[in-house]
Amino acid sequence: METGKWVAVLVIVAIVAGVIGYVVKPTPTPPEVAELQDRVSELETTVSEQSARIDELEAIPKAKLVKAGFIYVGPIEDYGWTMAHNRGRTRVDEKYDWLETMYAEIVPEPEVSDYIDEMFGKGCDVVFTTSFGFGWDTVKAGARWPDKMLYHCSGDSSIHGTAPNVGFYFADFYQIYYMNGLAAGALTKTNKIGYVAAYTTAELVRHLDAFYLGAKEVNPDVEMKVLVTGSWVDPATDTLNAETLIAWGADVIGFTADAPAVISKCQEHYEDTGEKIYTFSHYSCMKEFGPDVVVSGQLVNWEKWYDYLLLKAQQDEAENWQHWGLINGGYCEMGSDFGEPINPIFIDDLEAVTVTDPVLGTTNVYDLIMYRYEQFKDERSTYEPFTGPIYDTEGNLRLKPGEVIDGYELWWEIQWYPEGIIPPE
Amino acid sequence: MNLATKVFSNILRKKTLALIIGLAAVVLFVSYLELSGVKTGSFLNRAMVFATPLLFGTLGEIYAERSGILNLGIEGMMSTGAAAGILGAFALRSAWAGAAVGMISGALLAFLFAIAVVHLRGMQVPAGLGLFMFGLGLSGVIGVTHAGEKLPYIFTKTPIPVLSDIPVLGEFLFQHVPLVYLALILVPIMWFVLFKTRLGLNIRTVGENPAAADSAGVNVFRTRYLCIILGGALAGLGGAFFSVAWMHYWLEGMTAGWGWVVIALTIFALWNPLGGLLGSLLFGGVHAFQFELQGLGFPIHILGMLPYLVTLITLITLLLFRRRLGAPSALLTSYTRE
Repeated sequence: METGKWVAVLVIVAIVAGVIGYVVKPTPTPPEVAELQDRVSELETTVSEQSARIDELEAIPKAKLVKAGFIYVGPIEDYGWTMAHNRGRTRVDEKYDWLETMYAEIVPEPEVSDYIDEMFGKGCDVVFTTSFGFGWDTVKAGARWPDKMLYHCSGDSSIHGTAPNVGFYFADFYQIYYMNGLAAGALTKTNKIGYVAAYTTAELVRHLDAFYLGAKEVNPDVEMKVLVTGSWVDPATDTLNAETLIAWGADVIGFTADAPAVISKCQEHYEDTGEKIYTFSHYSCMKEFGPDVVVSGQLVNWEKWYDYLLLKAQQDEAENWQHWGLINGGYCEMGSDFGEPINPIFIDDLEAVTVTDPVLGTTNVYDLIMYRYEQFKDERSTYEPFTGPIYDTEGNLRLKPGEVIDGYELWWEIQWYPEGIIPPE
Repeated sequence: MNLATKVFSNILRKKTLALIIGLAAVVLFVSYLELSGVKTGSFLNRAMVFATPLLFGTLGEIYAERSGILNLGIEGMMSTGAAAGILGAFALRSAWAGAAVGMISGALLAFLFAIAVVHLRGMQVPAGLGLFMFGLGLSGVIGVTHAGEKLPYIFTKTPIPVLSDIPVLGEFLFQHVPLVYLALILVPIMWFVLFKTRLGLNIRTVGENPAAADSAGVNVFRTRYLCIILGGALAGLGGAFFSVAWMHYWLEGMTAGWGWVVIALTIFALWNPLGGLLGSLLFGGVHAFQFELQGLGFPIHILGMLPYLVTLITLITLLLFRRRLGAPSALLTSYTRE
C-alpha cells in the first residue's frame, strides 16, 4: 500500500507538472522576420500580370499532355475544404483535353511522402498537396523529384520559397468576413454576436477580427463572444457552442469550421421558435441547411489557381512563389450561393439600416456592402479593413489612426482581438 | 430489536441524511445560480443532450467489460452507427427506423469483434483497435451517398406533461427527444439487471472468474457474446443519436472521437450504470459550460483532456482509499474450456 501511495503521488505530480508546463510553455523564437518579409514580397505577382499570362498561355497550341495528382487531407464529400478543392480539380479536368487528373482522399499527414512518390511513379508531372500539415514533406519531396513540380496549399511562411520546384498558393476570406460582418452588425437586434472558431491560428483570428471590425463599423455598440472547439470537424461541439451563444443572447453567429452544424442549429432554432439567428456559410454553399437564416457567406474558386498553375506546367514552367488569392482575381467570392452575394430575402432588411460613411456619406448597409465588394474586386483600390485606429482587448493601440496593418503580421502573426470581442482565452 | 437491525437502521439513517444534505446543497446552488442570472435549466438541458450519446456508449461498454471483454472499438461502432442510421432513416423514411438500423449496424460490428476475441481468443486490444479503424472506414464508404444531405424525418421534442413544467428540473430532464428518455430509463434498468438479477450475477461472475462461472453451469461464451453485442448495439445507437436525432445530417468524422471518451467514462463509472450516468452528465456539463470556462481563460486543449484527467484523478484517489477499484478481474483474458 505504501508503494502504491507513492506511485499515486508521483502520477499526480507528473500531471500537475504537465499542466503547468503546457500553460507556461516558452514562445518559439521567431524566424528572421525581415528576411522572410523580403522573400515574400519578392515572390508575389500581381493579379493583372497573372491574368495576362493566362490569356497568353491559353492561346498557345498544346501538344504535350499533363498529368496532375491531388492529395487531399479529408474526404471529398466533407462539404467544406476538400470538397471545394475537388470541385476545382474537376472543373479544370473538364476544361482542358490535354489534362488528366487523379486524386487521393483522406491522406494522413505523416504519410503524404508515400502518396507523392506513388503519384510521380504513376507518371504525374505535377502534384498538389492541400493541407497545412503536408507542407514540410512537400518541400522534401521537391528535392527527391527535382524534375517534377509540386504545389502546396497554405503552408508555413518559413518554407515558402525554399525549394526551386515547390510553389505555394492560397485563397483567403478575410475581406469577405469583413463584408459579412457589415451585414451582421446591421441585422443584430441584441447587439450580441457569437462566433464559433475551430482554432485560434493566425488565419482564424484574421477572419474573426475582420468579421467583428465589419460589424463594429455599422454598429459601434456590438460585442462579440468567441468560442473555440479545437477541431475542424466536430458538429456536436459546434452545435453545443451555437446553443450556448444563442442562450447568451447572440442573434448573429459567424463561424470558421468545416461542418454546417452552426447553420443547421440556427435554422432549427428558427423553425422551433420563429426567432431568426442570422448566419453565414463557409467554404461551400451551405444554404440548403439554413434557407431562412443564411445571409451570405464565403465561397472559394480553387480552379482559378489550378487553371493558372497547370497552364504553366504544360509549358514546363515551374514557379516557387507564394501568393494570396483574394477577391480581386476571383479566387474567392462573397455569397449565400455562387452568383448570389446576399440571400435575396435579407436585402430589404439591410437596405433599411442607414450608416454614415466618410466617403459615401449617408447610405444604407446593402449599398455599403456592394460598394466595398466593388472596391475589393478592383486591384487598384487600397481599401483595407484593418486600418487604425484599432485598440485590442487589453487596451493597447494596435494600429495608429490611418495606419494599415502590415502584410506579414496579417498573414502570419495576428493573435490579438479588437476591443469589443470577448476572446476565448 | 436485535443488533443487526440496529446497525442496519443506523446505516440507513446516515445514508438518508447524507442524501438529504446533498439534495439540499444542489437545490441551494441551483437557486443561487438562477438568482444570479444564469439560465441553469437551459444549461442543464444542453448538458443532458450532449451526455446522451456518451451514456448509450458507456452503458454498453460497462456490460462488455463486466463480462471481461475490453472493446476499444466504440468509436468505430459509433461512426458506423451514425452513417448507417442516416441511411436507414432515408431508406425507411423514419427516424425510429434510422435509430434501429444504427443499432443493428453496431451490433453486427460487435459480433465480428466477438468472433475474434471470444471464439478465436484473439487479443482484445489490437482487435478493438482494428474494429475502430474498420468502423471508421466503413462509415465513410456507406455514408457517402447521403453525405451532407438534410434528413427530413426527425424526432420531435416531446416534453413530458406535468413533469416538464417543474422549474429547472423539467427543462433538465423532461423536455427532450424520445431517445434521451430511452437513455435515462436504461440506466436504472441496466443497473437492476446487473446487480439484482441472476443474469447480472452470471455476467459479473464471467467477468471475475470465467472458470468458476463455467463450472457453476453458466455458458461463458454465450454470456460474453451477448454482452459484446449489446455493447455494440448501444454504441451504434449512440452514433445514430449524433446523426439522426441531433444533427439531422451525416458528415464523415462527425463522431469526432467521442467514442474514446466512452472508454474513459466506463472506468470513471467504476463499471456501474449509475456511475455512467453521473460521468456522462458531468462531462456533458463541463462541455456545455465552455462558454463560461473559455471566458475565464481556460485553454481549449485542457478542456479536451478533462474527461481523461478527471478519470485518472478519480482512479488515483480511489486507489488511495480503497485497495481495489472493482475492475472485472478477468478483463482482457480470453477463456478456454479445459
